[in-house]
Amino acid sequence: MDTLRVRDAKDLEEVVRAAIANEQPLEIIGHGTKRGIGHAMATNAVLDVSALSAVTSYEPNELIVTLQAGAPLADVLSMIDSKNQQFAFEPMNTAPLLGTPALGTIGGMIAAGLAGPRRIKAGGARDHLLGAHAVSGFGDSFKTGGKVVKNVTGYDLCKLLAGSWGTLAVMTEVTLKVMPKPEAERTLLLRGLDDAAANKAMTAALGSPFDVSAAAHLPKSAFRATTEGLGDTAGKGEALTVLRLEGITASAAHRAGSLRELLAPFGTATLVEDAASSALWATIRDVLPFAASGALGAWPVWRIVCPPASGAALGTQLARETGGELIYDWGGGLIWAALPPKDDAHAPAMRLRAGAVGGHAMLIRAAEDVRQSVDVFHPQAPGIAALSERVRAGFDPKTILNRGRLMRSPAA
Amino acid sequence: MAIMMPASDQAVLARRAEIVAALRAIVPGEGVIDSAAEMRAYESDGLTAYRQPPMVVVLPDTTEQVSLVLKYCAGQGIKVVPRGSGTSLSGGALPLEDGVLLGLGKFKRIREIDFDNRVVVTEPGVTNLAISQAVAHAGFYYAPDPSSQIACSIGGNVAENSGGVHCLKYGMTTNNVLGCEIVLMSGEILRIGGKGCENPGYDLMGVITGSEGLLGVITEITVRILQKPETARALMVGFAQVEAAGECVARIIGAGIIPGGMEMMDKPAIHAAEAFVHAGYPLDVEALLIIELDGPKIEVDELITRVEAIANGCGSTTCQISTSEAERNLFWAGRKAAFPAVGRISPDYLCMDGTIPRGALPKALARIRDLSEKYQLGCANVFHAGDGNLHPLILYDANKPGEIERAEAFGADILRACVEFGGVLTGEHGVGIEKRDLMPEMFSEIDLNQQQRIKCAFDAQGLLNPGKVFPTLHRCAELGRMHVHAGKLAFPDIPRF
Repeated sequence: MDTLRVRDAKDLEEVVRAAIANEQPLEIIGHGTKRGIGHAMATNAVLDVSALSAVTSYEPNELIVTLQAGAPLADVLSMIDSKNQQFAFEPMNTAPLLGTPALGTIGGMIAAGLAGPRRIKAGGARDHLLGAHAVSGFGDSFKTGGKVVKNVTGYDLCKLLAGSWGTLAVMTEVTLKVMPKPEAERTLLLRGLDDAAANKAMTAALGSPFDVSAAAHLPKSAFRATTEGLGDTAGKGEALTVLRLEGITASAAHRAGSLRELLAPFGTATLVEDAASSALWATIRDVLPFAASGALGAWPVWRIVCPPASGAALGTQLARETGGELIYDWGGGLIWAALPPKDDAHAPAMRLRAGAVGGHAMLIRAAEDVRQSVDVFHPQAPGIAALSERVRAGFDPKTILNRGRLMRSPAA
Repeated sequence: MAIMMPASDQAVLARRAEIVAALRAIVPGEGVIDSAAEMRAYESDGLTAYRQPPMVVVLPDTTEQVSLVLKYCAGQGIKVVPRGSGTSLSGGALPLEDGVLLGLGKFKRIREIDFDNRVVVTEPGVTNLAISQAVAHAGFYYAPDPSSQIACSIGGNVAENSGGVHCLKYGMTTNNVLGCEIVLMSGEILRIGGKGCENPGYDLMGVITGSEGLLGVITEITVRILQKPETARALMVGFAQVEAAGECVARIIGAGIIPGGMEMMDKPAIHAAEAFVHAGYPLDVEALLIIELDGPKIEVDELITRVEAIANGCGSTTCQISTSEAERNLFWAGRKAAFPAVGRISPDYLCMDGTIPRGALPKALARIRDLSEKYQLGCANVFHAGDGNLHPLILYDANKPGEIERAEAFGADILRACVEFGGVLTGEHGVGIEKRDLMPEMFSEIDLNQQQRIKCAFDAQGLLNPGKVFPTLHRCAELGRMHVHAGKLAFPDIPRF
């Protein structure tokens, strides 16, 4: 394994150009925290961009930050936190789920595009990436977007880069939108609801004028008693349905009161405030009940996105068929499913059931041999797959970048 | 016409009668328009300085017809220009002499309203406002609100990634669209996304949004809808200097407040608007801010107090706070009528659309004043101040020789200044033909080639809406070719671990 640790964007461009000339595919890494997601890559050369770690500029009043792609996410988060700002899409920390040590880099955050609970209100990584400089598989340094929020100049290639898992271009610098942190947060907590009732409660809350910024449901589980971050809400693994309100203190408190009345038919909600509320949502964001170090650490984990109101019906069916454990986020529109180990990680059932409701399922955690035998990413309809491949080839015609990560090689 | 469009294909024009007949076989009845008189309605969009009748107009009413029309045109090498309501301000729907104009006006049906999933599935010809109206009874609305919302179609909004006054807080079209049905130039029908938050694979919906009708023809759209805020109130704040108004905008954002809308007008715009709608705007100020806060009443009341204090701290000379819906609407009336109001004081005007970092507002205004002097043309400025989106209105008289050319040169200089100050050529109106030839001010040839390779992935023949967005057209085969870079065949000398 040859690791090339580039010092700057110029180095990076030269490495990619040399790789193209040699037809040598490259695996692109920052801190390598998400290397376990996707298929094993058909290469033995690693391009490490973690040395491109500078903060180019941070302008709190403009609500933007420009960073090199290798900037450590932890440092960036603490920098913007010092100005009372945040990435509103709540990027997930995959380290606990995957059992890796660090938070990773900004480039990895964008390339994976894994947004947290506020996705339903504030959008995902795609909605916060304003501009990027990158090196394509043509060996060309190009830029797209800009440093302002409102911009329709040319095609929005940022959208393609976000969530591309490094298969289109190697980002060198990105400009991201930052947002003020809410002054206060309040979480309403309902206990003991089954999945169907919880989905109804979340739908009612998200359809209300109370500006709910997150809605999640943790079904009854025998495995959750020791999960950190849940504090005294963990109980004995009883079902928890949680709804978050954020904003200025008076408003969050007022809306929490109104929402509690609205949800009275589902039970009497209790209130969790500020730090305890934050800890609770970090637990959900990072899927700590399924942490690699926990009781379900050896189980494969699926990430399913579906129409939110279909969540409970889909999840209940999947749990029944597989004996798995679930966590619902995004008002039912995101289901984390940890399933008992099996050679194919229950892939046929996951794909069939998710697809039937217009959803899709990604195998975010599984042993390498399992990932060799099933598709990690949800297979697409033939026309979309063909168009996506043409788009990919328009960035990287020789498939130099992260070859094989998104799709199993035909030989496997 | 000052701008060069792709050369007309004489062979196609010579076969016009045959092409019209073939299109009639696909779209029967009144769906094909070929008389010069009737086609005149389609010769221009909202950028009325440019006019060109199309070869023929087709108005299909099913996805299958759209597919057959495109497949036929692709097979025959005929160019196609898609059109929604024709309100583009950048010439995105300007027809081509040898092209089929494909109007989506018959796609007028809202297909599904799904309150549980908070989405509306709609045909592209439905107007932006009609979506909000269709869900208003349940307290919902569709957030992006371009000024043309009573007329503009949602399909056009997706094509242009339209914004509006409220996009500072609620995002642009791209942040509010979940999926679509799209027909490629080949006639292939694809479905992308749906009612879920995210789509698998590359974000094709994201790159289609704002692609200005060059990638495909959208025949169905899924948008997300939101609950209407409980209440909204506005402040109208006057300043003796533009700089103070700019500072006020920066401090509001800096205080962590994201207003529903935050608009600025300069003195010429204030005077024109006041003369037109009598909104009670102060006439002795250099800049006026309209700041709207929306949400629960308790929150709005608190934020109004905070914003008022910030405005006072920035030296505001007048500050009115709306106490009723009627008063709030009155504050907005002048701003919303700013374009027609300017139309009353000048025979013609050009509306520009650059975006700059908020902090560069005073600098940009000073530059515009200098340019106004240089070109000897007046300019009224309205801004979406919260997101730095400028709409300078350049006043000219098309009947005076040389004024339109001077106005265009003035406008181009403003956009160059936007890029110089760290901004972009267009915030919400699109590139179209209007800003096409300025694209190299912002993007290198490499940047533009990378964008055009996306075009090739969707439309390899380059038949869909050619001549828009890109100043130079390349053949896809040329764009796909690899260049050997300086013959460097070995990895460079860098640390290895």
